[in-house]
Amino acid sequence: MSVRHAILGLLAQKPRHGYELHAAFEAIVGGDTTWEVKPAQIYTTLERLEQAGLVTCISDLGEGEAPDRRVYALTEAGRAALAGWFAAGVTPDHQRDEFFVKLMVALACGEADPSRLIQTQRAHLYQELHDLTTRREACNPQTEMVQILLLDKAIMHLEADLRWLDITEQRLEEVRRQPLPEPELRRRGRPTKGDKGSTYPPPATVNREP
Amino acid sequence: MSIIQTENLTKIYGRGEAAVTALDHVNLTVNEGEFVAVMGPSGCGKSTLLHLTGGLDRPTEGDVHIEGVSLSKMRDDDLTRLRRQKIGFVFQFYNLIPVLTAVENAALPVTLDGVKPAEARRRAAEWLSRFGLGDRLLHRPDQLSGGQQQRVAIARALVAEPSLILADEPTGNLDTRSGDEIASLLRDVTRKYGRTVVMVTHDPRIAAYANRIIFLKDGKVVDETNLERKNKDNAQMLADKIKEIGD
Amino acid sequence: MNLQLTLAWRYLSGRKLRTLLTTLAVIFGVLIIFGMNIIVPTILEAFKANMMAASGAVDVTITHVSGGGFPQETARRLESLSGIRAYAASLERTVNLPPDFVDGAPSRPDRISAINLVGIEPQAAQSLQAYLIGNGGRFLQEDDRDAAVISQSLADAWGVSLGDRIRIPSVDGLTELTIVGILPPRTLPGNEEVLVTLPKVQVMTGQPGQINTLCVALTSLDDAARNEAIAAIEAALGSDYQVGTVAPGSEMFASIKLGQATMNMFGVLALFMGGFIIFNTFRTIVAERRRDIGMLRALGATRRTITGMILAEGLLQGIIGSAIGLLLGYLFGALIVRLAEPAMKAFINLELGAPVVSPTLVTTSVLLGVGVTVLASLLPARSASRVTPLEALRPSLAEVAYKRRVGADFIIGLVLVGLALLGLFKGDLNAIALGSLLFLGGLILVTPALLRPIAWAFGRLLAWFYARQGIADLAQGNLTRQPGRVTVTVSATMIGLAIIVALGGMTTSLSGMMDDLLHKTLGSDYLFIPPSIAVWNSDMGASPEFAARLRQIEGVEAVTTLRFASSAVNGSPVSLLGLDPQTYPQVSGLDFKEGDEATAYAALASGRNMIVNGSFLMTLGVKVGDTVELATPNGPQTYTIVAHASDLLNAKVVTAYISQENLAADFGRSDDVFIQLNLRPGVTLEQVDSAIKAVAADYPQFTVLAGKQYIDQMLVMMKATFAGMYFMLAFLAFPALIAMMNTLAINVIERRREIGLVRAVGATRQQIRRLISAEALLLAAVGAAFGILAGLYLGYVIVKGLSVMFPIPYTFPLAGVLAAVAIGLLFGALAAIVPARQAAQLPVVEAVRYE
Repeated sequence: MSVRHAILGLLAQKPRHGYELHAAFEAIVGGDTTWEVKPAQIYTTLERLEQAGLVTCISDLGEGEAPDRRVYALTEAGRAALAGWFAAGVTPDHQRDEFFVKLMVALACGEADPSRLIQTQRAHLYQELHDLTTRREACNPQTEMVQILLLDKAIMHLEADLRWLDITEQRLEEVRRQPLPEPELRRRGRPTKGDKGSTYPPPATVNREP
Repeated sequence: MSIIQTENLTKIYGRGEAAVTALDHVNLTVNEGEFVAVMGPSGCGKSTLLHLTGGLDRPTEGDVHIEGVSLSKMRDDDLTRLRRQKIGFVFQFYNLIPVLTAVENAALPVTLDGVKPAEARRRAAEWLSRFGLGDRLLHRPDQLSGGQQQRVAIARALVAEPSLILADEPTGNLDTRSGDEIASLLRDVTRKYGRTVVMVTHDPRIAAYANRIIFLKDGKVVDETNLERKNKDNAQMLADKIKEIGD
Repeated sequence: MNLQLTLAWRYLSGRKLRTLLTTLAVIFGVLIIFGMNIIVPTILEAFKANMMAASGAVDVTITHVSGGGFPQETARRLESLSGIRAYAASLERTVNLPPDFVDGAPSRPDRISAINLVGIEPQAAQSLQAYLIGNGGRFLQEDDRDAAVISQSLADAWGVSLGDRIRIPSVDGLTELTIVGILPPRTLPGNEEVLVTLPKVQVMTGQPGQINTLCVALTSLDDAARNEAIAAIEAALGSDYQVGTVAPGSEMFASIKLGQATMNMFGVLALFMGGFIIFNTFRTIVAERRRDIGMLRALGATRRTITGMILAEGLLQGIIGSAIGLLLGYLFGALIVRLAEPAMKAFINLELGAPVVSPTLVTTSVLLGVGVTVLASLLPARSASRVTPLEALRPSLAEVAYKRRVGADFIIGLVLVGLALLGLFKGDLNAIALGSLLFLGGLILVTPALLRPIAWAFGRLLAWFYARQGIADLAQGNLTRQPGRVTVTVSATMIGLAIIVALGGMTTSLSGMMDDLLHKTLGSDYLFIPPSIAVWNSDMGASPEFAARLRQIEGVEAVTTLRFASSAVNGSPVSLLGLDPQTYPQVSGLDFKEGDEATAYAALASGRNMIVNGSFLMTLGVKVGDTVELATPNGPQTYTIVAHASDLLNAKVVTAYISQENLAADFGRSDDVFIQLNLRPGVTLEQVDSAIKAVAADYPQFTVLAGKQYIDQMLVMMKATFAGMYFMLAFLAFPALIAMMNTLAINVIERRREIGLVRAVGATRQQIRRLISAEALLLAAVGAAFGILAGLYLGYVIVKGLSVMFPIPYTFPLAGVLAAVAIGLLFGALAAIVPARQAAQLPVVEAVRYE
């Protein structure tokens, strides 16, 4: 989402062609190592924006249809959309956490000890934190403030993660006790007696579709 | 060479029903030049570990060896001398004597050891200058910021040229930026000046400055991590991580 | 060492006000001890100078041990001795001149109030000294009858010159002398002299055939030879004679010594309080500084270093306190000397010089001041050294532990109190002082055990009172769970008030006794007083004719007189007063402690018996019924003690009363030095006044006082003195106040966390302030109660102890007790103000920060 709006903002600065947009976007987010966006993604997004009427092509260097050579500019609608984006708050997305999935899976299948999992994760996060901190220290506050901003964000997220790990560790017993949500299978036919709702660990007899 | 070596180190407070086991047969080793962070939930015994290592308290059972010398055989005067000469301390707060100036505070360990005041102050001034306090030698603690006070404390910890520095929540009382400065300073102490630092902290960000973390829980060591990985794909993995966050 | 002194100095200057306040008591103690001990030697020096005025060219002065006259023939014993160049006998008496004697003009101040009348043998005297007579005059000659030689300075003062006549008071009135020669102006210290021939003076003083001084000049300048010669003289004269020293003037000395002893006791008690306060202060300091101490220990300071640090602070405080105390003490002493000068001059004709300070005194005072302070800091220093680094870093791990052992302290305390009581009854001033200290010390130790149940009860009371406000626990906590802390607070008040009440009891009783005695022994209608009361030796008395003439006046019922001689028992000076056993009890009277009055007086008349006063019994260690040997001009005489009694004027001096017959027979004295007269019932003063005054005009050395007048005068003087003493007592109260403030401050500091927590859960500042104040008042009340009770008991015991020396009936010091109650409560309130405010203003976060 933010890629689209970032493009709108960059075009608000001045009309650009596609290739230039890619370079500009990378510069804004502090280099290609921090946030990698493929040029193709930019061009695709540009086309979509043009279709939506938020940008328009204002010149054609006549070297073909490739978006990287066509100069785009912001339309009135585009400017409005940009303003709307600025005005609204950004909801962070926390839901998709690989470790969370790992933990739940462990709890479900019992192939790993959740405590050990947490410890491993913790150690790993600390290593990450260590690296980030080292990198951050190496940055020159006079010239690389943008990188520092991003690194600090990462560091703080890691701190939060670590805190979450601590709490989770403390709640592990309680989590183990409570039933995991089991998916509702649409069955044809009558349920077997005694099999109401779900339990964890799953009962030895598994429901089978007749 | 191992600077610290503990053997079945145990400390129990109180008696009978009210007895609390702060440390439970802990065995660990800290080698020369390491920067070790000791972490754990409140009441896990990390401060107790530090106290026993520094000879500030005596174990109920077990022993601590500093540079190969056993502490349990030492009398109080020997332990006191150990603290003067071999170990430097940095505490969380109330580090400095309020009626002494920065340079006098920093000079304390060697003054107590019998070094003449002029020479002691010279050494202290040297360390203070290294830490950027050269222009505040004659300031009293109440004229220094929290971060500056801790820097004086670190200078003091080094003035007797000990091999081991023990720090108990050194950044606990400081704001984020000062805390970072102090943690970075402690790291320099190991890298630039070759000492060993053992630091108790509950702040992950600060702990990350170390190169090894020991996790305590209920008086026992439950985990240890080496923070400096030899992994060359460091940067790449980092980038991946950021990407997930950023999109 | 450098570090410890540096730290000590910095800490002290960091809290200047508190340092000053706590040192105040030490300053006060040193001030009193130093100051008082300046005054006494100054007076003694003045005495010596006075007495030795004429000894310019003389090596050795010989006097009788009794201080009085001895036969002229004694001089002959010196004749054959080698090593003596020359010697001369003389009879010297100080004659006090009544005010305006010479010029009769009250408006002009007198420069001369006394002269030395010196009876010499002109030739012998001139062999010792050269007398340079001025132009026109001549020196005395053997056959002169009424010639006198005076100095130019005396002639100027009196406005007389060669050939003029002067009048000198003598036993039978006024004697006229003609000035035949004038010496150069006098430069030596001491009284002016009037030189007259020996026989004439013997008549004037009523001492025929007697001399009282032998002046000797030795031949050699070499020390060994001189000592040999002196030894020979001593051998030739025997033990009845004193060689070299001045006459004791013992009565005055005794009074001065007593005053000095009393003041020393004040000083010692003040120092004791000072020490106690310093002790408390240092406990505060150690409590406040646990962090720093623990820090230093963690950094590697040994226990000894820590102890040294606290001791260094004590030392510095002691030095500062003593220095200031010395300075103020010198000023105090000089001031008293200055104030006393006119009284001394008028009363006993003594000119005081600059204050005398001996190096020993300075050293002793400093040692006492510094010693007390360092001692007081000893225990806190030791407890400071026991602070482990851990305790100071994480105070939640260790609580301040107060001793809970009841056993040892209590027993020791009881033992001390027992010892104290033993000492107090020995009757020796030093034992009494020591006993008082032991008593107070024992009291401090015994108090905790006694206090516990009281504190507990009060704790519950407070808890009940504050229950509705929800801070019952806090209120109760201190009193029931920390008896040690309570004791310390209470002790400070207790000691201070005990001292005040005890000394108050002593003072009130003394004052009451004086009052009684005054009325009893000086209650006659008329009194005839010589210029120097109580220094009888220097008074020119009157021949019995004076009293006889008074008896003949119409309306006079009875006249009784006192006569004086000095003597010695086993070398100790004794004052002998001769009275008429028949008339004395009629007009005046003695206060009898032991022995029947009538029998005693009868015994005086019937043999060599005597009535003695308490001082006599105490100092010489005898009792009623014993016999003693009095030194007389004619050799020792044995007298028997038949009773123990005293009168006001001679209460403090070793005195014995014998019959006037015996006095004349054994000591050759028959001049009256004090006369009392009673009128017939119904006769008023106006009727006899002019007649009496007419007779008295012939004896100008006596002042005539109507009895009541004299008593009133004395009462005024006494009240002034006692007022002064009460004032000093009040001054002692200040250190007690400071002590209480200190201990309450400790309380607040040690309960910081408690208070902070309670504030955190909702107690208001107001509540906290009220609570602390209530506690302070309560503690002050308990302390005052204990202190007053202890003080009453101590005062009673001191008075009983002193009674052995001079009889003092015990008077309950009501005013003193009321004052103490008021002071106690007032101080409680005052002392609570600052700590209560501190407690209320404790930032909550500060208090809970220790985690």
